Amino acid sequence: MIRAIAEALFTDDVPLDDAMLEAFVTNIDGFMSPASKTLRAGLMLMLEALRWLPIIVMGKPATFDDLPIAARTEMLERMDRSRFSPFPLIVVAFKTMLTIPYYEDDERLRAIGYPGEARKRYLTVKT
Amino acid sequence: MSVLRGREVGAPMRAQVDAVIIGSGASGAVIARELARDGRSVLTLEEGGYYTPEEYGVLAPSQSLRRLAREAGLAVAVGLGDTPLISTLAGRAVGGSSLLTGGIIFRIPEEILHGWSTTLGLHDLTPDALDPFFTEIEEAVHAELVPEAMRSRSTELFVEGATKLGIPMKSVRRNTSGCRGASRCTFGCPNRAKMSVDISFWPDAWKHGAEVWADALVERVDVASGRAVGVRGRFLDQETGEPRVPFEVSAKMVIVACGALHSPLLLLRSGLAGPNLGRHMTLHPSFRVCALFDERVDGWDGAMQSAYSDAMMDQGITFVSAYNPPSVLAAAFPGVGKAHRRLIERVSQLAVFGGMIHDDGGGQVRRWISREPLILYRMTARDRARFFLGMQTLGKMAFAAGAKEVLLPIFGADTFKSEAELDFLTSNPPSAKRIESLSFHPLGSAKMSVSEDGGVVKPSGETWQVDNLFVVDGSVLPTSIGVNSQLAIMTMALKISRGLLRDWSRYARRAA
Repeated sequence: MIRAIAEALFTDDVPLDDAMLEAFVTNIDGFMSPASKTLRAGLMLMLEALRWLPIIVMGKPATFDDLPIAARTEMLERMDRSRFSPFPLIVVAFKTMLTIPYYEDDERLRAIGYPGEARKRYLTVKT
Repeated sequence: MSVLRGREVGAPMRAQVDAVIIGSGASGAVIARELARDGRSVLTLEEGGYYTPEEYGVLAPSQSLRRLAREAGLAVAVGLGDTPLISTLAGRAVGGSSLLTGGIIFRIPEEILHGWSTTLGLHDLTPDALDPFFTEIEEAVHAELVPEAMRSRSTELFVEGATKLGIPMKSVRRNTSGCRGASRCTFGCPNRAKMSVDISFWPDAWKHGAEVWADALVERVDVASGRAVGVRGRFLDQETGEPRVPFEVSAKMVIVACGALHSPLLLLRSGLAGPNLGRHMTLHPSFRVCALFDERVDGWDGAMQSAYSDAMMDQGITFVSAYNPPSVLAAAFPGVGKAHRRLIERVSQLAVFGGMIHDDGGGQVRRWISREPLILYRMTARDRARFFLGMQTLGKMAFAAGAKEVLLPIFGADTFKSEAELDFLTSNPPSAKRIESLSFHPLGSAKMSVSEDGGVVKPSGETWQVDNLFVVDGSVLPTSIGVNSQLAIMTMALKISRGLLRDWSRYARRAA
């Protein structure tokens, strides 16, 4: 399920490779492991709900991970905009846990304009 | 050895000390140092791990959340009624939440203290009476005004917008020394520049003999004949993080400093009860408003927090500048998939400002099936209105500064492209359940009062129900204060510790 969500959130024109998908799973595990049993149970419940929600949200008799990637993205978009508050919460919870580590990669940070170690303020203070 | 890493302990441990303190954050550090300096034997038990500034300073934000924050940064207050789910950040490490604050230093506003000292009868909490305590803490943590040169362009833009709207902005004070504008204070300062208590207080406490046991979960306070006599708990396992090796500590004084989320829980587990315990908690519900500009902003260059406005304090709203590392901001951008990533690509053009509400005490912490509390919060209609007004005002500031698009913390909302589009926030606001809110200042869940039926602790910090059991953290603050709470918490801890030392012999006689 984590791989399926990550693909829906981050797939561009090129599919995500297996190593990257595994890294997403590791990152989610990194958040869930130090959390309390109740929070872990809550997150697992969210995942399980998401798995079966295509029937309600998309009207399709399939599990989330069986949907094509574009349909998964569309489903998350619909849930994000839903007025039923648990739906956007599910999206935000997993989007947050997946997005933060994804954009901690130096290369990706530079791609969005973050200069990393070459930051101006650092240099100003150093000189 | 001053810090014992409990995860490495293989056999049960016992200790006997003058004072055992539960929690090593802003309040626990202050009282540990005070007691140790006075020659008392002090042991502090901290549930979280011990990380040196060199260790936590290189952690990426996600790693920092996992290691230094409760629930890996995923703790939430569940909204009751038309209330948002509020993400609630609290530290869990030696140094506690002080590792994760933006470092802002505010004294408790005088009008708040006036209410405490008159309406609530807490006569020792006047501005004049607290002034020497505030001053002492401010010196110890090196409170300094953030120079305008350290303001990020993100902050400058909101200040420009505020100025155009006639809303004055001021520079904040922070507990920093040698800040280099890394703009990631809330994930552990990478430059040892934030004077969190692991840098400002603990070294002195350790020098005077205080010890800390890290990874030590206190499960209950031992009470005999109506008096606290010690604590017991278990060290957390290195692999699973679950409680494993037991420990017991006997002490003349037991001092609870676990913060407003956990102190009430420990007291409840230890047999204390009452209608005020775990109730009346305030959260200072916060929000951030982001804005996209045509120009390059590079908001990460500069102090993470540097300016604030109290112009709307009379309406219960405080505005404080804030920024976050790009990865954290990326997670906060609206949308999913390509739409989300297109916005993230513009993060260098993003400015951010925050606001918080001086709220009514609608929060509760309750015991349930986990060792973490169930946090419940009901936002009042007045506070909801303040929330939306604050968001609208920040949005107007952004447009006044030339923003092209404003991003409000509303689930599923598109960006807003004109000031007029923000009118709905006050004329026809959405359900608060669709709002993304944060809290960094849980307070008041074991509040101080002059009578047993009005609170949990006496003005001395000692609980009304159990002798020699003190609470010294933010849970004793009797009301919300409307400003960042670190200085308030440390000042109250200092005041309580001075009173404890003044009357030490009386308390110690009970323990003899």
